Amino acid sequence: MRFRTIDELEDALREAEYLPDRGLSTALFLSLALEKPLLLEGEAGVGKTEAAKALAAALEAHLIRLQCYEGLDVAHAVYEWNYPRQLLHIRAAQEGTVSEAELFGPDFLIRRPLLEAIDSDGPVVLLIDELDRADEEFEAFLLEILSDFQITIPEIGTIKARRRPAVVVTSNRTRDLHDALKRRTLYHWIGHPGMERELEIVKLRVPGVPERLAAEAAAFVRGLRGLELAKPPGVAETIDWAHALAALGRQELDAEVVEQTLGSVLKYREDIEAVRDVALARLVEEARATARS
Amino acid sequence: MPGDALVRHVVTFGRVLHEAGLEVGPGRVQDALCGLDAVELTSQDDVYWTLRQTLVSRHDELDLFDRAFRAWFLRSPVVPPLRGVPVRQARPESLERSGPGADDRSESADGRSIVLGASTREILREKDFAEMTPDEFQRAKQLVAAIAQARPRRTSRRRYPDPRGEVLDIRRLVRRSLRTGGDPVDRPFRARKSVPRKLVLLCDVSGSMALYTRALLLFLHAAVGSGRGVEAFAFGTRLSRLTPDLSRRDPEAGLDRATAAAVDWGSGTRIGASVKELNDVYGRRALTRGAVVVVLSDGWEREDCVLLGREMARLQRAAYAVIWVNPIKGSPDYQPLAGGMQAALPFVDRFLPGHNLRSLEELAAVLAGIERRRAA
Repeated sequence: MRFRTIDELEDALREAEYLPDRGLSTALFLSLALEKPLLLEGEAGVGKTEAAKALAAALEAHLIRLQCYEGLDVAHAVYEWNYPRQLLHIRAAQEGTVSEAELFGPDFLIRRPLLEAIDSDGPVVLLIDELDRADEEFEAFLLEILSDFQITIPEIGTIKARRRPAVVVTSNRTRDLHDALKRRTLYHWIGHPGMERELEIVKLRVPGVPERLAAEAAAFVRGLRGLELAKPPGVAETIDWAHALAALGRQELDAEVVEQTLGSVLKYREDIEAVRDVALARLVEEARATARS
Repeated sequence: MPGDALVRHVVTFGRVLHEAGLEVGPGRVQDALCGLDAVELTSQDDVYWTLRQTLVSRHDELDLFDRAFRAWFLRSPVVPPLRGVPVRQARPESLERSGPGADDRSESADGRSIVLGASTREILREKDFAEMTPDEFQRAKQLVAAIAQARPRRTSRRRYPDPRGEVLDIRRLVRRSLRTGGDPVDRPFRARKSVPRKLVLLCDVSGSMALYTRALLLFLHAAVGSGRGVEAFAFGTRLSRLTPDLSRRDPEAGLDRATAAAVDWGSGTRIGASVKELNDVYGRRALTRGAVVVVLSDGWEREDCVLLGREMARLQRAAYAVIWVNPIKGSPDYQPLAGGMQAALPFVDRFLPGHNLRSLEELAAVLAGIERRRAA
């Protein structure tokens, strides 16, 4: 393996502009060391997908992403035959004969993410994003692939991974994943980052943002998470918001600009109303005080 | 591999977690040992994360793990774990009263000996749950289980081969036209299949529902057993998830614990707060999105009717349809006078009684054929 210690991996992730906490870097490190897929869960916007991207960058590996959705099947996840080309080929060879082996050979094969990840020569990070959105039939199928890293195409034969891809699976917990799948994966829950780390992340991802503004924004978002909201903002929202505030040329936070830009942080009408009517002034004050200390 | 002492330590810790209710098998312990081999053992942080990521696989287990870790490795005073706490003294009244102790053991015996005349069955169907004798209740039990098999359905996004389908199955079409020199003589089709829709059941287990909770919980148990995609909750003063307990074959013990967790004795029903918790915790995970949600309650909100109305509106926006089952509605002169009921009704798609077997059959029929009445 490329990294001998967790610290080495952490440094490489930082270089890829991703700031993991110790828990996440341990999880990624173990996933590489034990060659086991890593299941990441957490609220929306805490950086599950970003973690896989950063891992690919740190490993200098090719990132292959499979976005899951209901009805996702083998034809879209693994491989499909190129039917239009096959038909044309049959037509073109009308006079001669076309053998089935020719027609169902590598030339006519469309490689989808899972096949691509298994049948790859270079290092690969395979991201299976939002697996909870796929249906259970697909989950069962994926289980097979994740246990022996090989794919059988009836017409061609079995393709075995020459090197195991690093696998990151994410889920938003819209349903419980199957226990059999969980048994084959390491598990990590990503929580909201602490105040200091969130500030670091904002400064890294929004270059040129005034220090004071970034600190106040991070503190304000932290305050929001303490309220009872339908959808508390994640780091992704903090970054978006900091971008918006910086674009407005702000140096610091005040109630007026917060009210104007609240839509980048809160995505539900009820949440925006609740904050605007009740807590806004207090949260701004607290955020300014926290940032100063 | 790490040293013998450590191996024993981790294996024992795995067993402790297993005792505490986590699903820790030999595979996980093996992973934990391999993991510890790869990290710095002197760093408490790294050891913690390694054990947590290899031994835990669900978010709900994190708290339990943390406590066990503190107790085992950090030698802090042991806080009693959540599971395994005897809560029998806090049994809901209804579960206690009807057929004490007889139910579990005689279950298989019932299975053999049930022979009901048509007219007795008819009488049983009409009889109010609150007035049933323990014997009648035993017989009703099986009928409830059969009724609860009804599931709302929806069209899957996935297509299956179907000669009456509307979309050409290109894959098979090409395969077949090989035989005919590329001419698509035989045209196979694919269609979307109908699959069960998510079903979320919320049962009021507070004191005012005491006469009905036992029958309704039976209904919940059978519904959860009918297949995947069913979630069950109990609520009184707060919400408590029942699904894991109801998934077992013999749910009685788990039910006692879960329903006890939903009720603070002596304080009133907080339906609004419970629905809010459902929206906040489970709605955010899209558990209720596109689901048929059934609330089984008499609508006696003791605290905040405004909150109940607001949270029911939220629930209705996420759900495909909301059904309210009220056992009191079975009475002929029932009027929805309870403040909570009035606040909730504008956000309920179907309002049904639930006091006897016939009304549960009606609920099953509604579930099987339900369609959205509002614009999406």
